[in-house]
Amino acid sequence: MTALDTHQPGRPAGVIHDIGYQRYDGPRLGRRHIVGALYLHGLRAAFGLGRSAKGKVFPWLIVGVVGMVAAVLIAIRAQTGQAVLSYAEFPEVLTLLIVFFCAVVAPELASRDLHSGVLPLYFARPLRRGDYALAKLAALVSATFLLLAGPLTLMFAGAAFTVDGLGAVWSEFGDYLVALGYVAVHAVVFSAVAMLVASVVRRRAVAAGAIVGAFLLTTPVVGVLAVLPSETASQLAGLASPITLVGGIGDWAFEAGGDLGIGRFGPLYGAVALGLVGVCVLLLLARYRKVASQ
Amino acid sequence: MLRAPQSRLKGDTAMTNVELSGVSRWYGNVVAVNDVSMSLGAGVTGLLGPNGAGKTTLLHMMAGFLAPSRGVVTLGGEPTWRNPSVYRRLGLVSEREAVYGFLTGHEFVLASARLHRLPDPEAAARRAIELVEMTDAQDRRIGTYSKGMRQRIRVAAALVHEPEVLLLDEPFNGMDPRQRLHMMDLLDSLGGAGRTILFSSHILEEVEQVSGTVQVIVSGRLAASGDFRTIRRLMTNRPHVFAVQSTDDRRLAVALMGQASVNGVDVDRDGLTVRAGDYGSFTRALPKIALASGIRVRRLLPSDESLESVFSYLVEA
Amino acid sequence: MVTLIATQSLTKTYGNRVTALSDLTVAVEPGIVGLVGANGAGKSTFIKILLGLLAPTGGQARVLDLDPTVDGQAVRSRVGYMPEHDCLPPDLSAAEFVTHMARMSGLPRTTARERASETLRHVGLYEERYRQVGGYSTGMKQRVKLAQALVHDPDLLLLDEPTNGLDPAGRDGMLALIHRIGTEFGISVLVCSHLLGEVERICDALVAIEAGRLLRSAQLSDMTTVTDVLSVEVSEGTDELAARLAALELPVRRDGRLLLIPIDGDATYDLILTAVAELDLPLHRLDQRRHRVAELFASTTQGDLQ
Repeated sequence: MTALDTHQPGRPAGVIHDIGYQRYDGPRLGRRHIVGALYLHGLRAAFGLGRSAKGKVFPWLIVGVVGMVAAVLIAIRAQTGQAVLSYAEFPEVLTLLIVFFCAVVAPELASRDLHSGVLPLYFARPLRRGDYALAKLAALVSATFLLLAGPLTLMFAGAAFTVDGLGAVWSEFGDYLVALGYVAVHAVVFSAVAMLVASVVRRRAVAAGAIVGAFLLTTPVVGVLAVLPSETASQLAGLASPITLVGGIGDWAFEAGGDLGIGRFGPLYGAVALGLVGVCVLLLLARYRKVASQ
Repeated sequence: MLRAPQSRLKGDTAMTNVELSGVSRWYGNVVAVNDVSMSLGAGVTGLLGPNGAGKTTLLHMMAGFLAPSRGVVTLGGEPTWRNPSVYRRLGLVSEREAVYGFLTGHEFVLASARLHRLPDPEAAARRAIELVEMTDAQDRRIGTYSKGMRQRIRVAAALVHEPEVLLLDEPFNGMDPRQRLHMMDLLDSLGGAGRTILFSSHILEEVEQVSGTVQVIVSGRLAASGDFRTIRRLMTNRPHVFAVQSTDDRRLAVALMGQASVNGVDVDRDGLTVRAGDYGSFTRALPKIALASGIRVRRLLPSDESLESVFSYLVEA
Repeated sequence: MVTLIATQSLTKTYGNRVTALSDLTVAVEPGIVGLVGANGAGKSTFIKILLGLLAPTGGQARVLDLDPTVDGQAVRSRVGYMPEHDCLPPDLSAAEFVTHMARMSGLPRTTARERASETLRHVGLYEERYRQVGGYSTGMKQRVKLAQALVHDPDLLLLDEPTNGLDPAGRDGMLALIHRIGTEFGISVLVCSHLLGEVERICDALVAIEAGRLLRSAQLSDMTTVTDVLSVEVSEGTDELAARLAALELPVRRDGRLLLIPIDGDATYDLILTAVAELDLPLHRLDQRRHRVAELFASTTQGDLQ
């Protein structure tokens, strides 16, 4: 209600504006927008944007290292014209860094909300619990993808100026796309595992350690299997750990390295990876379904 | 400072008195308790104060867990610090619930009786459990108890050696109304039987019901002691506020404004709000003025004598 | 007027042993409603069922004329929830957090920011809103919790122990705020509290639950009706006054400091006033006795031996 002092000649006018509580009749956006907002929020949180300096240190440190490697490769390519590392080998070489990145970011996305007790506030809203889990997972996958895709793109850009002829650029582009696919596989598999672990551990530091553990503790199993006399066993050894699992897919589909010697089990590696991701996602959804009703 | 009603226990009343004289307690730069002197006798007293005002520190000093940095805390004339014999006469129910869920109520109280090295622990446990009216539930595991029941069994464990003094730190925390009423009745009956009961609280509603005797702690200092209504009347610098309804409010308002004891009168739909600078004169004058003017007073209600108001005035001061 | 909350034989058991709610049938009208007596399992179960986060074992519930088990999304977009426990991330500012929560309720980005700012002003947070929540006092944190429940303009607010941890001044402020929300803002509020004094102060109606069952559901005015007994208090000379009134053949009963006299028409008032004036006693209180909500819990013999 606005009280208006009607303007009379000789008397100054005055108005009291109504700044009381206003009801909201505007648009309420649907599922897509809410999930999108949560996804973007997560993506920004992954790189520490919108947080204090402490939150930025680790992710940008890793980004820095990856960037430096890429910069060196670009420089060498520019100087000598030689590709020391193929596009597809790039993620393989940096596998551990990808693990560290996931170990740092997944707790930021999952453990932190669990620890602060904010989840009931999310779930008391139209946001579905499954959507919450998937939005956070998608943010991690995207962040991990960007971590490598960015430098890869720079490498391609650098190479494009170095090589001669459109044909060469086109073949570079092909290699680059294949590598991006390989990076995507890394992102999806590693993120699924990391996110699941982070969703069950409340403290961020413990979660980070648990994630690293989940990846590294299975490595000795691979090692043992690999040195067994059976040919099949050593070919299947890579299935035991997520890192070698993805490496196996790389050997099969992206023709990188080929030092794991997986023989004809390539498709099996693919299937197992798909299965692993599926199981992780299902467990993740189940976990948040349980948390929501607590 | 008013004294609590006399003890009805047989024996020397001084034996049940908890006395603090000039007690202070500091942790480095933080002064938790600052020069507090009080005397607690039989009956129930509420120790009131905002969170962090020093209530728990005071209770722990009374219970002998902390030494005062300055001053002396005595029970029945003996200091409570480093004096294990004081525990024969003292029971403490602390804030944090440290009970073992797997024990039954009976086992828990019996353990306490044994720890006190009582000559007949079984009988003592039984008596204590009866006192808190938990006899029916004593053989169930504590993990299955409600909050109120858990508190009561802890009171039983603290009473098993029949102490004359019982200290309780925030005993009503989180209790629902029925549980609170039960606990209040229990404390009232214990106090009426001659024990010295002190409980702390920061929720005024709880204290108002149990006893009118309070000790108010604000930022470590003792702001006031005694019956809170009396405390209110001692605050002469604050006019007393009364709500008045009568058969002719406005005429009554005019008549009251003529009184020196009245600072001001507000008139609204529901009646008058009178601010009286001089409590004694006003309360005597009102009936006479009303009668003289032919006005019938239907309601006279003090608006700010609640514990809440008294407390807020003390905190502001 | 749509019934705010309506339940029909609502029951919830957990794994055959714990019965949180048992055959609860209640209808709540819009306004400010107090939910008392239920603590622990009963209360949180009730709220979760209302929000559609938990399905009842038996019976049904309706919130704002919607079924939460079917239209959970719709219910949750029109309800605001303020939990009892700590639920704020410590390293966000209040402004950022409430804005984010507004977006999670479907508000567009700029609107979310504006409404967050407005809501924070309405709950009484000013410059502090740009500081990190981790450094806030309990009172400020409670206000932030309330702001995030209010920011998307719900039709119903569910407040769980909103004055928890607040000192008397903070409690006063919060209760006044809730009262304002319920009356000026036009939003219905369900307040869960174990402090009857608070409930009597700000609520229009009351739902009392005990051991998962409905104890009483009534308008507060019905529960705090006046009796036909007058309570009189003088700060001195109570005995004298009692004697004088008895001499006037008034049936006087004593209750501590109070004298209780049944009202027999206006004459009763006059007799009392005259007696007090003639004896030159300080009249401290003269009032018709009212029923109190607490009587509800004292009256029945049902203890809390559950």
